[in-house]
Order: sequence, then C-alpha cells, then structure tokens
Amino acid sequence: MSEIKSESVSSLVDNYSPSSDNGVSEHLVDNLLKDDNSLDAWQNYHLIGDVLRDELPQSLQLDLSDKIATAIAQEATILSPNLSSIKSHNGDSSSDELSIDKTADDNQPEVNLNLNDNDVIDLRTRISAKIAKSLKPLGQVAIAASAAGLMIVGVQGNISDESLVTPNQIIQTMPLSGYANPVSFNVQTPKFAPNFQRSQSTKQEKNDKALEQRLAQQRKLQALLKDHNQQIKLGN
Amino acid sequence: MKSLAFLLLFFCFSAFGAETESAKIFLEKLSKSLRELNFTTSFVVVKNNQVAPYHWLHGIGKDDQELEILTRLNGSRRDVLRKGNIVSYIEPEKEPFSVASNSIQGPIPAIFREEISQLEDNYRFISVGRSRVLGRVAQLVRIVGKDKYRFSYWLWLDQQTGLLLKMAVVTRKGQVLEQVQFTHIEVNDTLSESLDKFQLADLPAITKINPLIKNQEFQWQVGWLPRGFVEVKSNTHKLSEYNQVEDKSVEFVMFSDGLIDVSVYVNPSKEKFMAAEYASDGATLVFNHILQGIEVGIVGDIPLITARKIAESIIASSGNSKKQTQVN
Repeated sequence: MSEIKSESVSSLVDNYSPSSDNGVSEHLVDNLLKDDNSLDAWQNYHLIGDVLRDELPQSLQLDLSDKIATAIAQEATILSPNLSSIKSHNGDSSSDELSIDKTADDNQPEVNLNLNDNDVIDLRTRISAKIAKSLKPLGQVAIAASAAGLMIVGVQGNISDESLVTPNQIIQTMPLSGYANPVSFNVQTPKFAPNFQRSQSTKQEKNDKALEQRLAQQRKLQALLKDHNQQIKLGN
Repeated sequence: MKSLAFLLLFFCFSAFGAETESAKIFLEKLSKSLRELNFTTSFVVVKNNQVAPYHWLHGIGKDDQELEILTRLNGSRRDVLRKGNIVSYIEPEKEPFSVASNSIQGPIPAIFREEISQLEDNYRFISVGRSRVLGRVAQLVRIVGKDKYRFSYWLWLDQQTGLLLKMAVVTRKGQVLEQVQFTHIEVNDTLSESLDKFQLADLPAITKINPLIKNQEFQWQVGWLPRGFVEVKSNTHKLSEYNQVEDKSVEFVMFSDGLIDVSVYVNPSKEKFMAAEYASDGATLVFNHILQGIEVGIVGDIPLITARKIAESIIASSGNSKKQTQVN
C-alpha cells in the first residue's frame, strides 16, 4: 500500500479530508472501499485511536463483523415449522418419534395406535398442533389475567395496610413568601392495634371517621401556618 | 500553625471569649453587607425533602434608597419587592399589597440585616472555623440558643464579602431541619440592570391592613414563654378563608425573641378535649390542641417542647367572668 493511500486513510479516520480543503471526496471513499489493504488500515487506525484514547472495550473482538456474518449464515432459516413440514417429518422418521413417545409415557394407548398407522400419527400431530395453536393465546390471556389479579391483590393489601396505620400525611401549606409546600406530619399516629376479630364494616366506619377528623385537623393546621406567615408579612 | 493550635485550644476551653467576639464581628459584617452591597444571588431552600429555588437581588439606588427583589423561581410566580421602607408582596391568589417595613420576610431571617447584638441575651455566637462553601472561603458561625427552647442557626459567611453562603436550622441534637444554600453570588459596584429598571417602577400603595379589631381585653393569656420572648402584636381576627370547617374569631398574639416569631391562637371550642396535633414545615412547627374547651394553636420555628409548654400555659385572663362559663 502506498504512502499516500495510508496517509489519506489516516486523515479520514481523523475526520479530515486529505489534500483538498473541501469535504471528503466520494471518489476517494469509493476507492478505499474497494481496496482491502485500505480497509484493514482503516480498522487498525481506529483500533490505535481507541487504544490511545483509552476507549478499548473489556474484551477485544477484532473480527466482530465476520462473526456476526457467520452466525447469520448458520442460523436456521425456518423459525416456526408449519404443519406440512411436521407431517413430512413424521412420515419420514416415525420410528424416531415413536421411541421418544414410548420413553415419555409407556402405557398410553395412543402410542400403540401410533405404532399401527401413519395416518393416525398424522391426525394426532395435526390435532395437537391445532390445540397448541388455540391454547397459545389462551395462555397469554391467562398470564395477563394473573398479573392483573396480582396487582389487585397488591393494591388491596396496600389499602388495608394504610387503614391500619396512619399514613405519612401530606398537606399543602403556604410557607414564607409563598407557594404551596407539603407539610409532612411527624407523629400523631393513633395506634390502631390490628384487631381482626372486629367486623370489616365497623372498622371501615372507624377509619372513615378517623380520616375525616385527620383531614379537618390538617386543614386547621394549614390555616394556622398560612395565617402565621401572613401575619409575619403584615408586620407590626 | 502554632497560632492555629492555640486558637483550637482556646476554642476548646472558652466558647465565650475570642470566639464570640470574632463571631460577632462576622455577623456585624454580614449585617452591613446585606444593607450596603449591590448583590445578585441565587439560593435554594431545602426542607421536607423539597427544594425551592430563589433569586435575590439587592442594591443601592438613587438617594441611597435600598432596593431588593426576592423571587421564587418554581411554581406560580411570587415576588417580594422592596423600595426603601415599602415592601410589596405580589402573589397569584391575592391583590398585590404593600406594607411599610424595611425588611422583606423570606427564608432568611430579617434580623441578619439589623442590629444582631440584640440576640445576645438569648443566643450565643460561636465562631467555629473555616470551610469551603460555594467555592469560597467560608467562616462558620453558630447562633446557638442559650436554652433548650429554641433551635440553632448555623451560618456560613463569605470571608471576602461577608455575605451569607449557607444557612442551616439545627436542633440541639444536631438534626438539620432546614437549609438555605446559595448557588450563586455576585457583588458589583454598580446597581444591577433589573434593579435599575425596578427603580423606575411604582409599587402598589401601602394598603391599610388593619381592619382587625384591636382587642383590649383578651379572654386568655399566655402563662409561660421562653426567656426573651416579647409580644410583638396582638389582635382578634378570623382565621383565614381557607379554613372551611369553621370560620371563627381567634385571639392572636405574636411573640418574638428577635430571631424567630411565634404565633399563638386561642379560641373556645365546642369539644372539651383533643389530643395535640402537630406538623412541621422545615423548622416551622404548627401545633394545635384543645384542653378544657380551649383550643390553642401555636406556630413558629420552635421545638415541640416549647410549643407544648406554651400551649399548656394558656390561662384565663384574671377578672373575666366570661371565661368561667367557657371553662366549666
């Protein structure tokens, strides 16, 4: 590779256009892309740059693109076999299938049936495929439903927790020179002993009443704080 | 080095001697700077896990008139403007109003710009040492309550300009309740542009804000106060319109020890007894209880024990027959 070529590659790596002042000429880039030596140089220069800037990754893979290319090439093209391919597969090597079936569940009548007739196998796989197909969305629904159920259970748990212990209250207040700020209540927790023998409804009533009282209290405290700040502003 | 060691030793044995003197000098410098310098600052107030940013400008305009702007930067706009002896509060939910005063009421106690030595009766000034705050050399000065009934104020003061760089309200146990941290300080020889413009603007006229009935005879009075607290103002007024539950008149008295203000609200209640409820907004405590049919509310930057003690000391004014019916 000529000196000039490597120099131009180096300049390109550094985001400079070689020779001319104006932008990178397309011609030059095209030429570089055609030349394997230049491409290697391009790669090496970047690597050198990374080393100098201390930007190396922990594990260095020089031929990452190659690896990806080979991995793609090796990858199976059929990701979801359709019914016909299953069928043909069963037809070709039913004995393989049978041995597996036998080890799995020995005394099943279907297995015996399979032994006898290829058509039955065919039917069976078809049915099972159909069932699997129809069950798939059902399963998804089931997962979603159970997740939702869990959420509801969780929320209910939270509610019942809060009703037992007075939560950390927040009220909006107007501090000095304005703007609403939450005031967090420090203490004042009426200690409810969790009495589970009491019926749900009376507990609910009691909580409602306590909540109402607390809200009134909050409003009262808020009014006091606001008035205090206002009085300070008004001066003597 | 030797002198430093000596200083440290000295500090250990006497908190009253040179440390108090130097602290006082720093505080006096602060007061002077707050009154005389042209400064443009930004600071944040940290309390209850919340941060509130402010802009604070001060300068000396024509005829040596002091100009001051304090703006809250988050949420709806609230400004406090001061021109000499007129302070205007511009808030969204109210008509702008002005009061005759020579200090704005904000997160930084107004006393810092006044004669600080009047605090000496109830607070000790302690110069603790130097540290670095806002990239500057800062002198830490503590204003410590002489009794357990008030909080301490820790001030980090700029060595160069004397201005406040940081402030913390701290309990006796060292728990920080509220902090003011400056994020920007600029001191100029000339008036800043915004203040120069503000100088030309007109403030709302001073509103006559005392339609409140001045009550000569209060039904109740406070039996106990921490040392040094004196009555600043008193009246009977309706508690703010924000209180939807009951719109009742309260007897209101404000006390101050120079640094902090404590409001006491007293009114008869339908209920005989209600356990104490309280909340705190940073260092500000709001306390409320009903004892023997008397509802007492206390608000101020004071510890809970102080509020409780004041509230429990409320007694009927002597020679008042009305209170008898209330109490019984």
